[in-house]
Amino acid sequence: MELLITNLMHGFGVALSIQNLLFALLGALIGTAIGVLPGIGPVATISLLLPITFGLPATTAIIMLAGIFYGAQYGGSTTAILLNLPGEVSSVVTTLEGYKMARNGRAGAALATAALGSFFAGTVATVLVAASGPMLTQVALSFGPADYFSLMLLGLIIACVLAQGSIVKAIGMVVFGVALGLVGTDVQTGQQRFTFGIPELSDGIGFVPIAMGMFGIAEIVLNLERPESRSVMSTKVGQLWLTKEEFRRATPAVLRGTIVGSFLGILPGGGASLAAFGSYMMERKMSKGRHLFGTGAIEGVAGPEAANNAAAQTSFIPLLTLGIPSNAVMALMVGALIIQGIQPGPRMVEAQPDLFWGLIASMWIGNVMLLVINLPMIGMWVKLLQVPYRFLYPSILVFCCIGVYSLNNNVFDVYMTVAFTVFGYVCNKLKMEPAPLLIGFVLGPMMEEHLRRAMLLSRGDWSVFVQRPISATMLGIAAIALILMAMPNIRKGKEKAMAE
Amino acid sequence: MKLKLNGKDMASGIFLIVIALAGLYLNMDHNLGNARRMGPGYMPMMVFWIQAGLGLIVCLISLASGPDPLEKWTGMDAGTLVGGIILGVIAWKISPSVWSFFGQTYNAVGLGIMVAFIVMAFSAGWKLLAVICASICLFGLALESGGFFLALTGLILVSCIAEHTHTKKGVAGLLVFLLIMCWWVFIYELDIRVNLWPQT
Repeated sequence: MELLITNLMHGFGVALSIQNLLFALLGALIGTAIGVLPGIGPVATISLLLPITFGLPATTAIIMLAGIFYGAQYGGSTTAILLNLPGEVSSVVTTLEGYKMARNGRAGAALATAALGSFFAGTVATVLVAASGPMLTQVALSFGPADYFSLMLLGLIIACVLAQGSIVKAIGMVVFGVALGLVGTDVQTGQQRFTFGIPELSDGIGFVPIAMGMFGIAEIVLNLERPESRSVMSTKVGQLWLTKEEFRRATPAVLRGTIVGSFLGILPGGGASLAAFGSYMMERKMSKGRHLFGTGAIEGVAGPEAANNAAAQTSFIPLLTLGIPSNAVMALMVGALIIQGIQPGPRMVEAQPDLFWGLIASMWIGNVMLLVINLPMIGMWVKLLQVPYRFLYPSILVFCCIGVYSLNNNVFDVYMTVAFTVFGYVCNKLKMEPAPLLIGFVLGPMMEEHLRRAMLLSRGDWSVFVQRPISATMLGIAAIALILMAMPNIRKGKEKAMAE
Repeated sequence: MKLKLNGKDMASGIFLIVIALAGLYLNMDHNLGNARRMGPGYMPMMVFWIQAGLGLIVCLISLASGPDPLEKWTGMDAGTLVGGIILGVIAWKISPSVWSFFGQTYNAVGLGIMVAFIVMAFSAGWKLLAVICASICLFGLALESGGFFLALTGLILVSCIAEHTHTKKGVAGLLVFLLIMCWWVFIYELDIRVNLWPQT
């Protein structure tokens, strides 16, 4: 406990430097902005800004990128409540009750609930990250290569099980992602694999072109295909405060949402959207105001909003302790760390205490900033919504193009981005999820390394994966998850739940 | 009995299988090694076999999980796709002998892709995708010899074709705003290494 406090103090020392504060604020502002704007999400934004973070110190870069991710959770709710349009996927369920509240003239209360609930959840989740991080790291240090391999396999499979749509297709995308990760020079023998003699490919396919093409530019094309339906809202925001009655009803929902969100955030493939959804289902079944659902129940705003922010914070746990990304945003964080020359993994806590504790402290500071950014300044964000998409998309495009080029000062990356734009577009048309591909791409090379090491140690004996207890447990959980999802009635249940 | 073919799944499955088979073919160059000492070809072999297997499962499931057909292609869509690819390949192969500029770095490739997308932009189904991609290719072609401002101008102007609600005034304003902002962010603040003006 004392150690935790000392470490946190150290973290605050790092996070409170002028530069880190400024970039945390910048991240929170950008995050809120893209959260408010429908059609551009944190994945696209973070991949867009990856090249820019190149020149920053590692800690500052990660602090800013993290700020974008959880900032987007705050911003997303604004659009959901005021316009009935989710600014982010994770705020889809907020539209259900939040917009009804706005129609009832309680928009201000809904916004305040969302912001305060998010802040509370963010605070709890940050403490959770700080407390569990070093503990899990200790466990992770006893992992052998076989255990790592199985852990990554488990992560990939759960990411697929929880993805929307067909599981087999999602696993197919993961495997294709791993295959893309194979391109480049083989680390152990130095042989070129699948490079077609192109020198630019000998370091592997760039992470940024894939992320930007599939999540940034392909999204633009898809958004342009849907005609613009955004109308300037006329609802008055009203008083930004809750009545006593509302406060009493929202509090337990926030508590439940925080717990659900913190838990679902840690799971691979979970993350903010699943957490918000889980919390909404729970509130509809358990809360005292459940009979009011559909007419603007405050529980339906408080729970999911707390949950998505809690999950956004706790999804850093697997990344910081094990080096395993649990969703597409965390896969980008791995990319950012690797660009900075830091190998994510259990040794990060000891090797990079500034980064680890600084990030945790900055998360809390960022949450305070977001509360200020969102509540008193709500009018400004509503104005931002009046910028039409036809002015936004060329701006996004311009930033993407310069960003990709400046990564290596090579136009080759620009053309790679075009290729992945087309691929991302086709994937969308075929209902193939791009997020599993990105996770597979990031984890693939690490898995190969651990697999080779494990097999070398076991002298070519495959049974090592079931003989080591940790590894066997991971594989067991993965198998159970797959079998459960293969059963028709459970799958139908999931489909039904997703459809609602 | 009504046919319940899921066209989207079928296409995804075939895509996975084709890539996997191509990968396995290319992987024949690499030494497999054995389980104890894996060569560079071992992991790709496993990955591509798994991918092919998954592709097959997706195909099998698609026979009964539909109906979810692919979006209808018009003759124009198919024609411009084929025509675009053919013209693109021709442009890629021939352009270096026409103008030495295309012999440098990846300019010929960029021109080829751009030509293909320009042809595809004539069909309604591809228009948005093709216009956006063509504008990025133009940026790539123009950046190193045409300079930062010229490349950005091309990118912005071409990408604006994708949205019919644009007005001349709006585009002009956007262009000026973005040029100034990009100069400020990327050149003044971040100082990236790139030519600003056309090279002679």
